[in-house]
Amino acid sequence: MPLKESEAIILRTYPLREADLLVTFFTRLEGKVRGVARSAKKSKRRFGGALEPLTYVRAYYEDREGQELTRLDSCDVIESPLANEVSYPRAVALGHVAELLGELLPEREANDAVFRLTLSVLATLSGANVWMPVTYFELWLTRLTGFLPELSECIVCGEALNGSRAFFHALADGLMCPEDKRLASAEMSSDSRSLAAQMFRAPVESFSSTTWAKARASDLRKFLVQTLERHIEKKLVTAAMLEKISS
Amino acid sequence: MSRFAEPMTRLIDELKKLPGIGSKSAQRLAFHILRSTDADAEALADAVRDVKAKLRLCSVCNNITDVDPCIYCSSTTRNQRLVCVVEEPTNIAAIEKTRHFHGAYHVLHGSISPLRGVGPEELRISNLLRRVESGQVDEIILATNPTVDGEATAVYLSGQLKRPGLKVTRIAMGIPVGSDIEYADEITMLKAMEGRREL
Repeated sequence: MPLKESEAIILRTYPLREADLLVTFFTRLEGKVRGVARSAKKSKRRFGGALEPLTYVRAYYEDREGQELTRLDSCDVIESPLANEVSYPRAVALGHVAELLGELLPEREANDAVFRLTLSVLATLSGANVWMPVTYFELWLTRLTGFLPELSECIVCGEALNGSRAFFHALADGLMCPEDKRLASAEMSSDSRSLAAQMFRAPVESFSSTTWAKARASDLRKFLVQTLERHIEKKLVTAAMLEKISS
Repeated sequence: MSRFAEPMTRLIDELKKLPGIGSKSAQRLAFHILRSTDADAEALADAVRDVKAKLRLCSVCNNITDVDPCIYCSSTTRNQRLVCVVEEPTNIAAIEKTRHFHGAYHVLHGSISPLRGVGPEELRISNLLRRVESGQVDEIILATNPTVDGEATAVYLSGQLKRPGLKVTRIAMGIPVGSDIEYADEITMLKAMEGRREL
């Protein structure tokens, strides 16, 4: 079979056999693909730093008949996360992006909107200011994967929430008004809801001029992570690590 | 029913647990042990037992050792005020091969890896901080791997170690000696350019 060529974002690698790596990468052409990079562990010549998570590459790979895993032939680096300082908050945020893509994207299903979203968020995720890009990515990814409920009305009574208080719960599929909220619900501020509405109307770069504190839109991020975790039916490792970051 | 006698099957099963050893290799190794002399087989068994019984972590640097402190920490000829921080004990051998580093070490036993759920609290950092706080160190060389995880670890440590009078340095990155610039990947070349030095 001929070599395929596609822009791709490396999501994760796992050691395989003595010297190989099992690589999960998100291609523009075919969506999430899993493949084997032969001798990638032993020799760094062919892949160099191209297999680091969240590296934007041009990938060359080959499908083999009757085999589930593709053969990753080579990668040319287009953009590497190592080009900028990797602070601890940035490393966790990059890991969060990679984990979300790895968990939410189905295999071999092209999704250009998510690919473009990832590239634009990675471009703004170059410094230690991670909270805005993380919020933007979680919000849009939840929407693009079809898991985002309507944020402007109560899921129980259907009343509009504009201006009034809104609550969410780990086991509920959306926001609730004060009358219908469940026990142990958390509140989502109207600031966070209007921020979400703004984020749906503007590109990520337009928010990058201001530095966000961790507290800003933390209720929105909690709601989004709870929504995603309920759909993938597991806890996100990096979400817990983001929670522990102090600022 | 097993094709081999029970002790042989047990040995094959145990050998199969080793990394990179499949059924065929395990069988080959098991038969090699069977054919070897009693003394050789016992020496192998003793070596395996001793590794578990006698080795521990150095209380100063976390290196794997049979004496505490380890040979690097107790050496009077090495500069104990210069500490090289590495991810794994095996990294020490790579640095020792140069025969040009005469300082001490500190082993973290891993690196920060958000995707694997490994944060700074999982690394062995506390005794390094104690060493620095006691004023026993002039320079820390951060020799973690040039990967996203290794970089995150180095940047995190540099923040934790920042103290007046303490120099914190990072090993250089760039083109491997003997290779060709033509074949260097973009990020390696970028790092090499960033780390250039005046002649």
